[in-house]
Amino acid sequence: MKRMLVFGLLLTLFVALTACKQNNNSVPLILYNEQDPYILGFKEYIMEHAENRISIVSYDSQNSQVLQNELIDDILLDNPQLIIVNPVDRLGAYTIIDQAKEKDIPIIFINREPLPEDMNRYDKVYYIGAPAETGALIQVDMVVELFGNPFGMSNLDRNNDNTIQLLVLKGEQGHQDAEIRTEVVLEELEALGYDLDILSIEICDWQKQIAHDKMMEFLTQDPDASQLELVISNNDYMAIGAIDAMIELGVFHDVNDDGVMDPTIDDWIPVLGIDAIEEAIAYVRDGYLYGTVLNDSETMSIYLVDLVEALLNGVDLATLDFVLEDGKYIWVDYKKYEETE
Amino acid sequence: MARRTRRAPSIRTSILYPSIIIVVVSLVVVTVMSYVNYIDTTEQIVQDSSKEINKQIILNFENYIQSVIDTADYIQEKTIEYGLRNQTNQLDDVYLQASEVQTDIESIVLLNMSGDPIIQSNSSALAATDLTQKNWFQDASQDRAIYHFSSPHQQDIFAASSVSVITVTKLVDYYIAGVKHNGVLVVDINISNIITLTETTNLGDGGHIVILNDDDSLIYTNNDYCDDGSCESIELAKDLFGGESVEINDTMMYANVNTLYATRWRMATFINIEILRQSANRNMVLLALFTVSTIIVTIGVSSVVSRRISSPISKLSNHMQKIEQGDFYQEIEIDGQMEVIMLAHSFNSMIVEMRDLLDRIVEEQRAKRRTEFVALQNQINPHFLYNTLDSIVYLSENKLNDKVIQMVIALSRFFRISISRGQNIIRLSEELEHARNYLLIQQIRYNERFDFQFDIAPGVEDFNVVKLSLQPLIENAIYHGINTEYGSGQITIRAYQKHKKLILEVEDNGYGLEEDKIQELYRRIKEETTGKSVGMRNVYQRLCLYYGQEVGFDIISELDESTIIRLTIPLEGEK
Repeated sequence: MKRMLVFGLLLTLFVALTACKQNNNSVPLILYNEQDPYILGFKEYIMEHAENRISIVSYDSQNSQVLQNELIDDILLDNPQLIIVNPVDRLGAYTIIDQAKEKDIPIIFINREPLPEDMNRYDKVYYIGAPAETGALIQVDMVVELFGNPFGMSNLDRNNDNTIQLLVLKGEQGHQDAEIRTEVVLEELEALGYDLDILSIEICDWQKQIAHDKMMEFLTQDPDASQLELVISNNDYMAIGAIDAMIELGVFHDVNDDGVMDPTIDDWIPVLGIDAIEEAIAYVRDGYLYGTVLNDSETMSIYLVDLVEALLNGVDLATLDFVLEDGKYIWVDYKKYEETE
Repeated sequence: MARRTRRAPSIRTSILYPSIIIVVVSLVVVTVMSYVNYIDTTEQIVQDSSKEINKQIILNFENYIQSVIDTADYIQEKTIEYGLRNQTNQLDDVYLQASEVQTDIESIVLLNMSGDPIIQSNSSALAATDLTQKNWFQDASQDRAIYHFSSPHQQDIFAASSVSVITVTKLVDYYIAGVKHNGVLVVDINISNIITLTETTNLGDGGHIVILNDDDSLIYTNNDYCDDGSCESIELAKDLFGGESVEINDTMMYANVNTLYATRWRMATFINIEILRQSANRNMVLLALFTVSTIIVTIGVSSVVSRRISSPISKLSNHMQKIEQGDFYQEIEIDGQMEVIMLAHSFNSMIVEMRDLLDRIVEEQRAKRRTEFVALQNQINPHFLYNTLDSIVYLSENKLNDKVIQMVIALSRFFRISISRGQNIIRLSEELEHARNYLLIQQIRYNERFDFQFDIAPGVEDFNVVKLSLQPLIENAIYHGINTEYGSGQITIRAYQKHKKLILEVEDNGYGLEEDKIQELYRRIKEETTGKSVGMRNVYQRLCLYYGQEVGFDIISELDESTIIRLTIPLEGEK
């Protein structure tokens, strides 16, 4: 009896000590920073579309690659069926790919694209995102729409010199999107035959306030400021900052005071943004912001959930509604924001 | 039954073994658990703190790298700004200032795509070789979006320089007269800062840092063993990601590998955690000592306790054994537990009860024996009296007055002794006198056809004997032993002392007895039932009743020679 008791006690202890973590089938989604409103919106789309189809658990890397590495290290210990990663540092993504490869776990990158050489390290690595240049190309379309024929421009070429005097509001220096958007929009306009007079490229770190301040400085101090005919911004926040500065300085002037910018009546300069954030949509509606570009994260999240489901169920990826370029890349192009949306 | 008795454990073992087993098992379990728990916890703490240290180092490096990138970004911004304003000629000063502000920046140079300098932070002459062939130049032109960090090398952008630098390059735009151009921005940073950063970090004795490039090539290490670019830590760092305990040169290290932000580098930190192993060992020794000493103490204490419980009980059981052997005169005195003392008390009173009971039984037995004894003595008298009286009548009728007188005198003496004031034990002299009178009477009755003699050892006559021990034997000898027809019968009565016993013998020279007859007699005299040989059995049983088992009754016979009946009884009575 005593021996039974002792044995029972030991057995209980053993069971209690070795009780292992339960394995779950949810898919980890590791975001670079949930403080980023765009990422938060993206996450909400993903969760919305994944509902009742796949279980997704999101992790916040708090904009720290070290933290993200730690998170991934822990997550991979549980041998998930696949992981979705929004890398903090796209240059460091190769270590994540190597780890996933070692465990033969498919990995889908979103939002920030790893280097092509890293994408080729492993056959089960995928990327869903927008080709950075398409956002710029839509801006180019809008410039064409505004200025018309490069050799006989519309009346927006105010000084009639057949050259566009423009200012670029650039995001963070060295940031991939900022670099590509700036580069592509300028190169593409030149390629179309437009003569460009870049009055300045202001680096505003994506921020409204910096753009506002730099615009004030430019307008008040640059000798050529009065020549300004076009503002191209890498994102909506900076565009709005610039518009606010121009309203303050009277460059934008609501002559009939109807609260709406009417190109035919009021004083204004076309400003182009990207991202179609809520604030920008209001500016577009009121005519202050000429146009913006939609980063179609909803479509991306639909494709992402489809891809995850297909990978989990072993479905042939060729049967999916979208194309996997090189078997790895799913490109969801930027769209011009239309007011009807 | 026997097996069970052999297996039945003593109280001591029943207490000792289970308590030792319980203590040992639970102690071992607790010890192992707490050791495992301790190891886990310390390992967790060490891991966490190692990770923290690693993070801190990474952060330091990232801050440093960020500061270099910030400078390079600033340079780019200014390059475009000044270019768009057609102030390119002022940029040399901007470059110079930037390199001076950040002292570890050796040089900042903007090259066009042909490798010719556009802007320079200093006026040193560039190297004569084709700079576009340099790795750092080619890396930059591959991916324009990122900064490229080279391995440490001797500065090679200038003709004369011996500084060890890391070259940071990036493909950039610049404007000259409003026209955009591509170029490569080359920032050389002195490696000394990285060395300083690694040296100021405390990684413990033998702790070190390894920085690897994305192709696993070594960027930098402060481990002296790794000078030739291959060593244990580099190999470990190549395959590792995240944290893990490793052993390098017999030293416990916690290795942590992380990427360095904005570069393609991975940094591995190796932190000495030997102290963990040492403290674990120390802890294990302490725990083992504790466990062993507790077990020893337990064994000691429980054996003392179990002995204290069991020894009164075994004392009790020893007493029981004595009583089993018939010793009722031992009182038990036991110190110990209350229950045992109570048990001993009850036991003592039980013994007293038993003793009383036994004494009473003995007394009753003795009384019963006495009654039987008297009854047996009384069996003797009538036959003889009638026969003798018949003889006297016969003698009187034949006018043999002398004989009548002799016989009446003998008969009167015979009966005096027979009655002997009611005593059952008389002196041997009286018993012999009684036998003589009996023989005299019988001699007259049988017309002196037998003779008798007494052979008495001196000094034995004063011993006591059971009355009427000899007479039945003599009677037996006269009736059965001798041939009264021919007058040649001889009866001898002997009394002597031998081996502290009194021996009485009645011998006749009659027919003698065959061996099977003797056995028959032995059997008869020991039977309870009455029947033949009543005299001999009577004697034997009376002697047994009186003396117990110390009585000897032997029949020694030689055919046609003699028969001796020998009584052996204890010496009794004063001399």
